[in-house]
Amino acid sequence: METKTIKTENLTKVYNGNKAVDGLNLEIAEDDVFGFLGPNGAGKSTTILMLVGMIEPTEGKCIINDIEVARNPLKVKEIIGYLPEDVGFYGDMTAEQNLDYFARFYAMDASERKKRIEELLELVQLASVSQKVGGYSRGMTQRLGLAKALLNDPEVLFLDEPTANLDPEGVFQYRELIKQLSDEGKTIFVSSHILSEVSKVCNTIGIISKGTLIARGTLEELKSELGRVGAENLRIIVETIEPIPEITHRDIVNAEYSETKRKAIIEAKSDLRDYISSKLFEKGVKIKEMRMEEPTLEDVFLSVYRR
Amino acid sequence: MEAKGLFNVAKKEFIGHLTSKKFIVILGLFLIISALAMHQGTDNYNERLESYKEQISQIKEVEGHVGWMPDKPSIMLVFMFMSDYIMMLGAILAIAMGFDLLSKEKETRSLKSLLSCPVFRDEIINGKALGGTLALVFAMGTALLISLAILLIFSIVPSMNELAAILVFGIVSIVFLLAYFAIALMMSTVSRDSGSALIYTLVIFFILGSLLPIVGSTVAGMVTGEPPEPPAFHLQHETNESEGTFFYGGGTEEEMQQYQEELRAWSEKRKPITEVFNLISPNMNYQKIAFFISDPRIYSAVYEQSSPSSKSMTITTIVGESSAPSLQEVLGKVWKNILALISFSVVFFAIAYIKFMRMDIR
Repeated sequence: METKTIKTENLTKVYNGNKAVDGLNLEIAEDDVFGFLGPNGAGKSTTILMLVGMIEPTEGKCIINDIEVARNPLKVKEIIGYLPEDVGFYGDMTAEQNLDYFARFYAMDASERKKRIEELLELVQLASVSQKVGGYSRGMTQRLGLAKALLNDPEVLFLDEPTANLDPEGVFQYRELIKQLSDEGKTIFVSSHILSEVSKVCNTIGIISKGTLIARGTLEELKSELGRVGAENLRIIVETIEPIPEITHRDIVNAEYSETKRKAIIEAKSDLRDYISSKLFEKGVKIKEMRMEEPTLEDVFLSVYRR
Repeated sequence: MEAKGLFNVAKKEFIGHLTSKKFIVILGLFLIISALAMHQGTDNYNERLESYKEQISQIKEVEGHVGWMPDKPSIMLVFMFMSDYIMMLGAILAIAMGFDLLSKEKETRSLKSLLSCPVFRDEIINGKALGGTLALVFAMGTALLISLAILLIFSIVPSMNELAAILVFGIVSIVFLLAYFAIALMMSTVSRDSGSALIYTLVIFFILGSLLPIVGSTVAGMVTGEPPEPPAFHLQHETNESEGTFFYGGGTEEEMQQYQEELRAWSEKRKPITEVFNLISPNMNYQKIAFFISDPRIYSAVYEQSSPSSKSMTITTIVGESSAPSLQEVLGKVWKNILALISFSVVFFAIAYIKFMRMDIR
């Protein structure tokens, strides 16, 4: 039987009468890298805050490694790492001092702390930076946040918009780090509104919209599932040598022609490629290229979000 | 409750206060001004001591004198000067230490990082309060040590009783500072940002410290009306630096007796009203306690009369008293004020605690 590291049961959070999270049921297996995807305001951060024991659910519960978060938040915090969105530190202290302060809350002696902090600062490339954190760029603070999240060598890692302030080099290093941590057997929960980012590092994805989980699965599963549900129209791109005559069909929703009429983008409810090619053949129009554009995952998500 | 988290937070806060620029600047200013006040107070004490010695030598010249003997001035008079500066600069120091304790953490989002560690929320707020309290004890302790050093420089050696009084003065001063620290901490917890927290705290400081005593006096005036008119005679007065103000003039004994009774009745009616307002002002409570500790003989009598127009009679009354009340007796007279001062810290800290424990961190 597969072990479930992270589990939520009917998780609900109500703010001023509005449900930020509405009856969320999630199960994330051990070692999984789970991408929690959704637009801004969908309830991603609220879910994470409940999972890490920062806020209490209005209803339902969160369980991490068989520990109920609301009942034993401290025990949970000992085994998790959390990188909040817009992470912050004490500006009048160095990175080392900040990490040492936070490390004192865990069961680590002075030598352990020193060793761990040195390793982590090396890992996030801040070892040579001696200035106080108040003078850091957002990217540097984000990297320090990642080091802070890994301070206690957590079994479960929660990352909220982890690449939000990183430069391309930082994003690349972050992806490498996630792979490394995943190989070490850690369960990673990545919350983001950037699909490309999630799709690059996560094995499974859950999509949240208006506080409710609307889809869950691997990337391929989601693409096919949401493709059926979300994408209503197909786009057929036709390029010809002669001008394209007007094509009519009940499934055609929209057709756009270029000025020379040698290129057309036809939006249709079904795959009309056979019908279009026969019509063009009948009119003696030679086809240069004809292809159907499948909706990208991004298009699918957008259509799902907007519904 | 795990104490590890509490002490970790308290240690960080204590070091943070002691190394912060604002603390160093205000503490420096506080110490310099306290030292100047001590110097001023020491001069005043020496003048009184000279006057006392002069009076004693004059009395000794009168053969067979068995009447009133002047009291030797207490070195606690020196600390009376210091209390004025504590009320202003000390309170500002306490406010500066507390107004951004939590609001700054919310603004910089370091609170989220802190709360993601295995630490209870109450350990955070208690640790912050403990760290701030220790920093205030450090500030007040330094000020008292400097003042003692100044006394010794002037060859004034306090007796054991005076040392006990100095210690009580120091503790009461810390309790006063804690009242404003707790108000600032509460504002820091409930306000959206540090700027608002500072403004609200200063508004409360102004209301409690300056406005409330004025309002109390005005309300008392409205309830009791004007003080009774003295009998129809030409009242004249004379002020003597060492003996106070003396009134003299014509008028019958009966008229004077009736006037004194009316005045006493008016004072007794006014007293509870002003006392209620004074009890809800940390400044007034602190001032009363500090004055009682500094010069118990004078202030016990003055506050008991609590009427500015009866001051001359008050002094006449106390002149006959044999000795100044002991420290225990003094504390017995101001216990309500001490309790009120402690209540400020407790009430405002409790509000900060409850608010912080229930706060949604987003």
